[in-house]
Amino acid sequence: MILPIRNFSEKNLSFQSKPNKGEEANVAYDKDTLLENTFANRTRIGLDKLTKAFTIYPAKGLKGSKNSNFYEFLTMGNVPYIIGSVTLMSIFNSVNSDFFPDAKSKASKLGNKMAMGVILYCVFKELAKSFITLPVKWKTGIDTELPYAKVNYLLQESPDDYNLTSIEYHKVGESVDFPRWDQLYGDPKKGEKLNFRYDKIAEKNGLGKDLNDSDQEVKPMYKEVLVKSKLAKSFTSFMWAATGVALAFQKPWENYFNVATLKFWKPKEFGHSLKVLGKSFVDSIKELYKGSPDSFSKLERHSGKALIGASVLVTLLGILNTLHITKKPSNVKGSDVMDKNKESVVS
Amino acid sequence: MRTNLIQSYVNGTPIAQQYNSDKAVKDFDVHKELANRTFIKPLPSNGKLLKPSLFDMPSVVANDLIYDWNAFRHAVKGEANDHELGRLNDVGMKVGGLAIASYLFTKKQTPMTKAFEFIGLASFFGAMDLWPKLFLQLPAYLVHGFNIRQKYEDNYGRKKLVFQDHQFIPWDLYSDKEINKIGDRLRVPKDIPNRREFIQEKMRKIALQNNTMWMLTAGFATPIMSALICNALEKPVASYLDRKNNEKAERLLTNFPQEISKFDFSKEEAALKTFLAENEGKSITPELVDNIHAHLSDGIDYVTATGIRKDLDDLLPVGKYRFSNETLNAVRDVLKESFAGVQLTEEELAKILPDNNAMLRAFTDNGLMRSEAKEFSEHSKLVQNLVFDNIERFVEENPGNPNARRLRFIMNQMVHSNVHGEDSKLVKAFKFEPVSVLTKELSENLGNISKILNDFKAKNLVLDRYAYIKVAQAPETILANSWNEISESLLKVMNFTPEEIRQARYDREIAGEVLRNKLEGITADKASYSKFVTEMEKLLSTLQSKAAALDVSSDESSLYSSLVNKSTFDESAKALRNAHMENTAESLVGYGFTSRTSLKDVQLSFVADRLKGVKSSFYRILNMADMYYKIAHVEGLDSVLTNTMPREVKEEVVELAKETLLEGHTSDFAVKFYQKRNPNPDKFDCSQIESVAGKVKNKYFGTHQSSELMELSNDSGFFESVMKLMYENNLHPDTYEKIKSSVILEDFMNYRKNVLDFLGCDSYYPKPAHLVNGKVVDSSSELKFLLMGCSPDEMFLKLFRQKSNSNKWFKTFGRLGAGLIGVTLLSQFFIGHMKKPQPSKEVK
Repeated sequence: MILPIRNFSEKNLSFQSKPNKGEEANVAYDKDTLLENTFANRTRIGLDKLTKAFTIYPAKGLKGSKNSNFYEFLTMGNVPYIIGSVTLMSIFNSVNSDFFPDAKSKASKLGNKMAMGVILYCVFKELAKSFITLPVKWKTGIDTELPYAKVNYLLQESPDDYNLTSIEYHKVGESVDFPRWDQLYGDPKKGEKLNFRYDKIAEKNGLGKDLNDSDQEVKPMYKEVLVKSKLAKSFTSFMWAATGVALAFQKPWENYFNVATLKFWKPKEFGHSLKVLGKSFVDSIKELYKGSPDSFSKLERHSGKALIGASVLVTLLGILNTLHITKKPSNVKGSDVMDKNKESVVS
Repeated sequence: MRTNLIQSYVNGTPIAQQYNSDKAVKDFDVHKELANRTFIKPLPSNGKLLKPSLFDMPSVVANDLIYDWNAFRHAVKGEANDHELGRLNDVGMKVGGLAIASYLFTKKQTPMTKAFEFIGLASFFGAMDLWPKLFLQLPAYLVHGFNIRQKYEDNYGRKKLVFQDHQFIPWDLYSDKEINKIGDRLRVPKDIPNRREFIQEKMRKIALQNNTMWMLTAGFATPIMSALICNALEKPVASYLDRKNNEKAERLLTNFPQEISKFDFSKEEAALKTFLAENEGKSITPELVDNIHAHLSDGIDYVTATGIRKDLDDLLPVGKYRFSNETLNAVRDVLKESFAGVQLTEEELAKILPDNNAMLRAFTDNGLMRSEAKEFSEHSKLVQNLVFDNIERFVEENPGNPNARRLRFIMNQMVHSNVHGEDSKLVKAFKFEPVSVLTKELSENLGNISKILNDFKAKNLVLDRYAYIKVAQAPETILANSWNEISESLLKVMNFTPEEIRQARYDREIAGEVLRNKLEGITADKASYSKFVTEMEKLLSTLQSKAAALDVSSDESSLYSSLVNKSTFDESAKALRNAHMENTAESLVGYGFTSRTSLKDVQLSFVADRLKGVKSSFYRILNMADMYYKIAHVEGLDSVLTNTMPREVKEEVVELAKETLLEGHTSDFAVKFYQKRNPNPDKFDCSQIESVAGKVKNKYFGTHQSSELMELSNDSGFFESVMKLMYENNLHPDTYEKIKSSVILEDFMNYRKNVLDFLGCDSYYPKPAHLVNGKVVDSSSELKFLLMGCSPDEMFLKLFRQKSNSNKWFKTFGRLGAGLIGVTLLSQFFIGHMKKPQPSKEVK
């Protein structure tokens, strides 16, 4: 039911941020805008979402704002992820300093590996997504992570609310049910061809050049790639995250923990620490693959290999399944469907 | 697929024209209805709120699994929807979690640590799910009267949270009745306009605020809750695994024949058989014996393997070699090989190398000519001399020969080579034709010996496994679990405060003092003491019952003992003796089955010693408590602290006994104790000691400067008095009453007697007269060490440290968890507030 706006104030109400005196309106986006998938953009979006997840969104949520939405709820999912990681590290490390040397040494060994496990879990999980995204983009031309800025129009919650827009960062293929096809069209006002993005994808996938309606040809295929790549990412990212944790539990890391320092103002120590970090990383990978020299059971010796193998296998299967596109339109020309020279009867 | 009327209308109604339902209402004109735009509304929803009961859980789980499987199939084909992909992401997370747990499982060595990899994983996912349910959903329901995490199933069977997306809440799934009921609970006035909308908005607000709280708290709550769940599960899991492990160990013995048959040595036996068959009829060489020994002693300990070697040397005599032309040819071949580097013609070589006749002549001349010989170093020297002479002659005859120097060099190298004697090539060449041969009978006998040894190995492996599970010095053995259980219970029953534990963790001096104060406090109070002894008796009885299966005092005392003695060692030794393997049999059971240095004794004493060490440690605490009790109440001391003993000496005896039981090591007993005492005590004051609140109220002890005190090594009765006070004196009746019908009584009394004898009657040359009852008893350091057990101050120091560490952890994270729960629960009272609309006034 649409309720009447009781506090309507024509003077104050606008769907843009209020310009300061003597300043032109300076709005980042005045409509939903496709963004380039660059490192700079990804970083900017990531920082924006992270900041808001810890500040504006919880504040709105705790107030019970009628403008809080599912995007904000999902973005706030970063909060438990980050706090949980820190808490998990803290559980295994923060009280160890109070222990006596023998217990401290044992507890810290485990604690440090646990902390490294949390870090490598996150790093490997994020990295693993690109194991799918990059080959898929390279082979099909479809960027499954293409971002766009969404301008959101808000409801006025009090007469003083005059900035009634908010910017959200989504991805074109975020929803496979409703991909934002509109964002992929070019803007003829800017001299872009309407279907130029679809044309590129069509050409890359062998559907031909100068198609009349490349968008219609590409969309089913694009959607298939989205679904399959999402499936692949779900399993690949967590399998590699598991590999990251397993890597963190290798003995060579102890060499690094003994010299680890973040005191970058002491270049000699910091440099040495980084050098040992690199060596420990490489040695840990070797040990994960070959098994610890102390291991006495076959299972223990080969479990690392099995885990790496499983992760590689899941990644390969994910990529192959995504690249195996079944919804490509047929290349058969209309003229080839029916041989006009042959007699045929149509009932 | 359902007909979408809106779509039909928008698209120019071609589908609507085909709409022809038999169930249509009479006079219902679909075109007229569709033309009326205000009438158009979505079809009624087929969605429903989900309110499963506990009994529905299995079917819910099964349906969810089917849904996930179908989602996976759809996704593989590229046909899944957002909801399905979301579910699959959760599945991926769980698969990844399982991969982590499985990998770490393989890295862990004990059942408990292995199990906790999966318990940790399950507890983490459990905590993730439980936290919002227990601390947000439940309190919100109690305070506000509705489920903020209500789930619904939409038209397509997708399960979602009603309040997941606050801008798309499927309110139509709630009936007016339900909403009004919730409104009543939310105390929304009944006579306001748009009551349903107001209630809905309030519900939305409460749910949103709770969802936000969930996001803000879950990061702290999940890991802490998971850690606490693991902590809480530690004991029940340990107890379960201990029981299972014990059952597993017992099964090893009760199914002994089946268990030994699991070890298959057929490959090894076949390999030996093939080897023997290949060498049958051939001469017995040291290499052959080495090979046979390697086959037979694989997996056998060094001592027994040495015994096998000795027996093989007797069975397969090696060492005598025939002296024949072939032998001399072999010698000549070695010599030829030595000079291979020199460019010599056949004629020249013939001049240098002695021919067979020359060698035979030389051996005959030097009395070395026998048809068989064992040792060939003299022969080797003689041959070298012959070669040397030949070379000298050759050089003289051919002074200009370019090889002269080289020949001399090689000769010198041969003579001065660092490989001499039996290992030199030349000597080995003499051992070309051994006298003895591997006969068929010998092969069969060796095959039989292999069977006996393999049978023994299988039995021994089962017994080793049993002993390991029960008593090995490793984590999670039955004995280690008992140790942990008893020592932790002691800490609990003695009721140490967190502050005492924190202070006592620094070193054994402070730990000893805290323990002594606590024990003096307990023994001063009869009720506390009674509770303490009762608990100790209970704990030690349990240990005694568990240890009964490991009793090795006689052949028949337990199944283990019987299997070790009769079925394994004696039986194998007998069979080996029949196969002429006397030395091997002896290393198994000792000379005439009696030696204390045999492998059988190691098998038995390993178990007995481990048990003795653990029991002694706890018996020492019980004995210490009894003595402290007697001192606290000055009862039962008269036989040692007699009325002729000066009061000051009594106080010295008591103090030393208290300290020795608390922190004494075997070395203190070995030197007959060391204490600085007053050399001139008041001999006329022979009054009895006094105790207040468990502590001795010293009249003399501690009143002298240290410089006035000295060690009185001539007081031979002092050591005896202290020993008797600790170990010989009868138990206090109150203690005896508690354990008189216990299974530990006899064992405990034996322990006291053994300590008194073996530690009290040990001869120490600087103080030869310091003996209990004047006896000298021989014992080993090992036995004395085992009888002493762990000193209580050291045992408690470890416990204090462990407890202090856990206390610190609980203090930090328990407080954080409690604070988090408090804030989360209290937040319910601050959320959902809305300005109540005014009741509608009746318009007149």
